[in-house]
Amino acid sequence: MKKSLMLLLSVIVMLTMLSACSGNTNEKNEPAGDDGEIKGDIVFLTNRTDMIGNVYDEYKKRFEEKYPGVNLEFEAILDYDATLKVRMSSGDFPDVVFLPTLSNAEFPEYFAPLNDIEFSGDIYFKELRAHEGQMYGISSGGSTVGIVYNKEAFAKAGITDVPKTYEEFLAACEKLKQSGIVPLASNFKDKWPLDVWVHDIPSLIGEASDHQNKRADTDTPYTMDNEYGKTWSIVRELYEKGYLEPDINSTNWEQSKKDIATGKFGMYLLGNWVINQVIENGADPDNVGFFPFPADNSGQAKAPLNPDFFYAVNKNGNVPAAKAFIHWMIEESGYDEFAGFIPTLKDREPKLAQLAEFNSYDVKYFEPAQPSDVAIDIQNAAQLDQAATVQEFVLSDDPAAVLEKVNGRWAKARSDLGIKE
Amino acid sequence: MLSKLSFQTQKKVILICFITIPLLLLFTFAYYPALELLRLSFMKWNGVSANKEWIGFANYVEVFSNPDIFGVFKHNFAYFVVGIIQNMLALFFAVILNTKLRGRNGFRLLLFLPYILNGVAVAYLFGYVYDTTNGSLNALLGSLGFEQLSQTSWLGNKDFVNYTLASVGLWRFMGFNMVIYLGALQSIPSDLYEAASIDGANAWQKFSKITLPNIYKIIELNLFLTVTGALEVFDLPFVLTKGGPAGASETFVMKIIETAFQFNNYGLASAMSVVLLLFVVIVLSIQRYLLSRGDD
Repeated sequence: MKKSLMLLLSVIVMLTMLSACSGNTNEKNEPAGDDGEIKGDIVFLTNRTDMIGNVYDEYKKRFEEKYPGVNLEFEAILDYDATLKVRMSSGDFPDVVFLPTLSNAEFPEYFAPLNDIEFSGDIYFKELRAHEGQMYGISSGGSTVGIVYNKEAFAKAGITDVPKTYEEFLAACEKLKQSGIVPLASNFKDKWPLDVWVHDIPSLIGEASDHQNKRADTDTPYTMDNEYGKTWSIVRELYEKGYLEPDINSTNWEQSKKDIATGKFGMYLLGNWVINQVIENGADPDNVGFFPFPADNSGQAKAPLNPDFFYAVNKNGNVPAAKAFIHWMIEESGYDEFAGFIPTLKDREPKLAQLAEFNSYDVKYFEPAQPSDVAIDIQNAAQLDQAATVQEFVLSDDPAAVLEKVNGRWAKARSDLGIKE
Repeated sequence: MLSKLSFQTQKKVILICFITIPLLLLFTFAYYPALELLRLSFMKWNGVSANKEWIGFANYVEVFSNPDIFGVFKHNFAYFVVGIIQNMLALFFAVILNTKLRGRNGFRLLLFLPYILNGVAVAYLFGYVYDTTNGSLNALLGSLGFEQLSQTSWLGNKDFVNYTLASVGLWRFMGFNMVIYLGALQSIPSDLYEAASIDGANAWQKFSKITLPNIYKIIELNLFLTVTGALEVFDLPFVLTKGGPAGASETFVMKIIETAFQFNNYGLASAMSVVLLLFVVIVLSIQRYLLSRGDD
């Protein structure tokens, strides 16, 4: 009995393997659809393993209803970037993928330009994954950074309006502190939450998002009066006034989500992705608010706008159907709502209540600049961990000396690499 | 087929067959990577690109001339100090638990148990113990009435953060050292002690004149483990402090990982690894020299 079962099993395994092989060859022999007709098979390689078998099933049904000639399949993998790169180097990879981390100049080798997809309106992040005027990636959605706050905690502290200027923000912190609430959860110890102070807030202070790249042009990228010094002085001020956790060297990320949910902590300065996590930790969704961080006293609401993964099309795959699929994902699927993104289409309002609230402050968005390899190279050669520098800046008795030390390393790395002014 | 060969040849064939597989495994997984590490330490490589540039001793010069890299070794001092205390405690408990104490197996188990726990789990656990505001240690101190002391930031003070971390190591590895000492103590023949008792020796004399000389080699072994452990600490600061506050608890191994995987400088990281290896060898040679004087 056992033996025959094994035999049966191995036959099944062999058959599936064989059919898989033949499936592959069929796919390859199929014309790539150069005639522009939307039909045939397409495969979308995704990182959302959680959506397989539920949301994606529904997407498949709806998409195939619209394009009856197309057979849409989803394949979900973990460790997305590394796995995709291996498959790309083998020359055979799915029709629709998310762009891996390559430099833009390498995109034409693998991907089809997407300029001819006609969307109903202007889209965000058009230039970000483009090379020589051709666009190779379309963002699946955007996210932003701002203050996530507990509305009850604000009400308890007697804050009626969300702060619009930095002065008002400090006043709100003071009120929270007076009523026994920790104003801002920094999660200082964990280091990564400080990345917003390195990448996002300097964009708001300097009103330009290419500050990380511009570091490559100078020997002194960190000064007290440029965007970094100013931004980090804000953290330092909040720390010195006691508006952060009682002991910033002993913070607990998991606990902080619960504390925000219960109102023990008042605010986070993080991306909108944290909203759902706070809700998962027991907060009433109506009790969680989101507003732009007032980095200065201008009263103009400003926020960075960061892209999520970019859709791309395998240039040797079924290009027309793949493009139709991307168009459909952006316009009709409702994925941005499901994922809690800011929609890629500029004139579409985000569905997440908190994002709608955020946008109601008439926010001026700063789209990120294409990262430059030169600045990254110098940073690596200088062995510079910017979040660690923020920590040092805040804790040190002499912040200017910290910047001086970092600049020294930067200048040395820059000359070692032979980068000219 | 083999039966036609002489006994000597058969013996050789068997020996070679048996030794090939372990040697092959040893070379592929230990010696080859070690040699590759040595080779990489003379190169400039970002971990991805196909070309590796030979730069001679530049990486080594960087390791020794950059105080940011070599300076972190002073953080390991705390682990040495606590490691010595750990060994004394372990020996103390071993001697006590080697007597006919009631429930000694239970005590042995209790002291050894922390060693079985996974290192990262231990680090997480102590994250809750040492937390300043919600931590159990400060709660205990507070309820005992030490108001000032219960405000201590155990992991946030750059003066003693390394001692805090090392104390976790003490809790974890003391039982392991103790078990090794216990094993050595049990191998000392009991007639030595009986003879000493008849001659009128007291407990201290028995310990210093019989026990210590007999377990000398084992003390050396335990110190060896402690010293290498102290030089290669990684998991505790990595999980508990991320090297903070402001780099005060960063260790050399953390620095190596950061160099390789964050700054993509595999050459320098390899050189640092080689330096760490040499450092361990040097420190252990000194230790051996000091301990074995007059012995051989």
